[in-house]
Amino acid sequence: MLFEARNIHKRFGRRVVLENISLSFAGGQVHGIMGPNGAGKTTCFNVLTGLHAPDRGSIHLDGHDITGLPPQRIARMGLSRSFQIMTLFDDMLAIENVLLALPGFRERRTHIGGAVFGDKALTEAAIDVLGQVGLADRAWSKATALSYGERRGLEIAVALAAKPRILFLDEPTSGLGAEGTLRLAQLIHRLRERYTIVMIEHDMRFLFQLADRICVIHWGQVIAEGEPVELRANKWVARSVLGEVV
Amino acid sequence: MITLSDIPSRGASLLTPQIGIFLVVLATAPWWLVAIGFYQYLGIELAIWILFAMGFNLLFGYIGLHSFGHGAYLGSGAYAFGLFQKHVAVSLWGGLFAAVLAATFAGAIAATLLSHRRGIYYALMSIGIGQVFWFSAIKLHSITGGEDGLLGVPRPPLHFGVVSIDLTDNTTFYYFCAGLLALAVLFLWRLVNAPFGRVLQAIRQNETRARFLGLEVWRFKWAAFTLSAAFAGLAGGLFAMAQNSAYPDVMSLHQSGLIVMMVLIGGGLVSFWGPVLGVIAYFLARDVIGGLTETWLLWFGLLFIVAVMTRPEGIAGLMSMLPRSLGRPTASAAPLSAEAR
Amino acid sequence: MSALAPYVFNGLTLGLLFALIALGFMLIVGVMEVINLAHGSLFALGAYLALTIIDADVLRATVFGVWWLEQPLEARYILGLTLAPVLAGLAGMVIELCLRPTYGKPALYGLLLTFGAALVVEELIRLTWGTGEKTLPVPQELGGAVLIGGLIFSKYKIFAAGFAALVIIAVWLFLERTLYGAVIKAGAHDSEMVRALGFNLARLRLMVFGLGAGLAGLAGVILVPIWGLRPHVGVDVVIPAFLIIVMGGVGSFWGAVWAALLVGLAVGISGAYAPAWAMLSMHLLLIAVVGYRARGLLGRKSILEN
Repeated sequence: MLFEARNIHKRFGRRVVLENISLSFAGGQVHGIMGPNGAGKTTCFNVLTGLHAPDRGSIHLDGHDITGLPPQRIARMGLSRSFQIMTLFDDMLAIENVLLALPGFRERRTHIGGAVFGDKALTEAAIDVLGQVGLADRAWSKATALSYGERRGLEIAVALAAKPRILFLDEPTSGLGAEGTLRLAQLIHRLRERYTIVMIEHDMRFLFQLADRICVIHWGQVIAEGEPVELRANKWVARSVLGEVV
Repeated sequence: MITLSDIPSRGASLLTPQIGIFLVVLATAPWWLVAIGFYQYLGIELAIWILFAMGFNLLFGYIGLHSFGHGAYLGSGAYAFGLFQKHVAVSLWGGLFAAVLAATFAGAIAATLLSHRRGIYYALMSIGIGQVFWFSAIKLHSITGGEDGLLGVPRPPLHFGVVSIDLTDNTTFYYFCAGLLALAVLFLWRLVNAPFGRVLQAIRQNETRARFLGLEVWRFKWAAFTLSAAFAGLAGGLFAMAQNSAYPDVMSLHQSGLIVMMVLIGGGLVSFWGPVLGVIAYFLARDVIGGLTETWLLWFGLLFIVAVMTRPEGIAGLMSMLPRSLGRPTASAAPLSAEAR
Repeated sequence: MSALAPYVFNGLTLGLLFALIALGFMLIVGVMEVINLAHGSLFALGAYLALTIIDADVLRATVFGVWWLEQPLEARYILGLTLAPVLAGLAGMVIELCLRPTYGKPALYGLLLTFGAALVVEELIRLTWGTGEKTLPVPQELGGAVLIGGLIFSKYKIFAAGFAALVIIAVWLFLERTLYGAVIKAGAHDSEMVRALGFNLARLRLMVFGLGAGLAGLAGVILVPIWGLRPHVGVDVVIPAFLIIVMGGVGSFWGAVWAALLVGLAVGISGAYAPAWAMLSMHLLLIAVVGYRARGLLGRKSILEN
């Protein structure tokens, strides 16, 4: 198991948001997390990626215990995530957004003598990453100049830049129209060969089409887990995501 | 609105027109200052405050941490310089070294307390820390001379091998300050155009995302603050020499606020050179408007309020919009590889 | 222990006045999510306005001025005590109007604006009343000392504490028992909802800032006979106010009051051991509290956290 979360318990104030959640993600697969709004899946995501520390339970990445570690440590260990509503570094160019995420750039951070694009290899690596999401020709545009769909792509590119062992995507189809969703599906399909992906999604069709395994979170617990075909037959799943299953 | 990130992404070359202009203006200041009708000492004040402001903007503009108590570090430098002359030795470099060291040390401690926080907590805590310094400076009578401060701080001569240059003359002292300022600005220019500068800006825009990129955000916040305090300390040492004294008032909230206002009005939020313009604006207000009315600070404060309300990009921001309004294409972030320079 | 009694009393008195200051500050933070760095200057402004109302120094030469000064000090003082805060409140409303362009922008702009306002107000005070130290005249009945239980207490401080307590209760009643108070509390909680219910949000903000400023001004009138009247007397007001709402939690009325009493006691008691350094205790307390615990003792998650 590449990633394992065991008995995760999280409360905010007096409200228990996650109750005894255990999840595991095998390498080389695409995993989906779904569930109605307010079910706790966003919190779950945040806890898994290190934004919040769980009150109880443990999280392991490739055998290493990452429970309670700060986000930057976890990121350096190979976990990357995209955000649904967080802004990119809007003031900067698309390529700069990606550059900042490259591990090689990080090491040069205190290098006073060099310029931002001084290292040709790094710059090319950044363009290469942008190429993976189809944005190589937009590398030198300001992040705010990109279309919404392109920004979502850039969001993913930034997550890819660190060559993660596991990639967490937070509602990647959010705000995309039919065409954008189709393009994203094609992108995920390309990426799945190289990366282990975990996605939260609302779009059932998208998830069922791409994921190898899906888990359903409702009322702060995992109420179902398995392959898409199994879940279609599950009545609890049908109940909790009423009307949305294809 | 343009932003700090619009600073050219081409190499951190020191051969930009702005730097050239800046250095030329610095070098000829004694001449043109008097020609316009000002006086030599103003040049010294400008140099010292620009030094302070440029270092401060690393924190305020680049990494976006708003310290309202930075006068404490200028003051620490000033006091350290004065006390060094009094208790250790009358020495120019010794004193300046002590000034920078003291301010850096003070800044490092403050940075350690502050860097976990951001936003409003950061700002208020910086005020609290600044007040602790100010208060201590007044109460530690025996060390700091209380409300009156240290008096009779000398300007030690500058020793260049066998040559010894007397700095009591304002013009000579000005060139000394200007020289240090020039070096500081060149250093800062390289720094902000290096990856370090980009990281600072990333943290300003989105601290959480920066963390998720694997960056040790706390360290950068700490470093930016401490570095800005170091510059403040150097300015403080020069200040003590310029005024031949060090007193608590520079650490007051009032004074700390002035640097914030200068930097914002000048356009520090969007431009490397903003602080320079802001300091000039302040001294113009003080000496030109102040010559006409004693309400000059009131007007400067009102100007600040209007700027925050309508044009927070400041003078530098307004200037950058001129080409657009004149119909000329602006410098956009064009694709340039580093080898182009 | 009884040796500490006067210091504890001083501390509690100070605490009650801090509560007054902090409540005004908290209302502004609650409804507008703005940290009013001009709170201290409004505090000072209130005191100086009271001075002018009582002493009428501008109008001294006029017929009105002469007549006015003939009136008993008590009457003039009462007018000063009641009118000065109102005028300070009006000044606060002007600041709120200036703040309007910054709503919706990052919190930095509001902070900078109130900071600029603080400087402008302080400078106005300096230009109008001069930089020297002045005295606020106080009726004779409130002066002097009184003997209680073998210890000497300043009559004025008893008055100050009592008056502050009354005002605090009045504010509480206002918030809890009146419609306006309810709207303010709702506005602090959810401004969108308030707007949806048909209340004029802009006017609400104006009123709340005015109220907050007025409370600051009132605290100024009362504290200044103890602290002295100088243009920068307000510089040590924002720090305790902020400390108090951090400790007590934004939105918790009694949390603020308790925290204020605690801070006041801290200053008062440190006055027993290191009188010259007493005021520093609240800055150190701020650094400690903000450094380690920024959520507050009684309040919910603060809007200050971004």
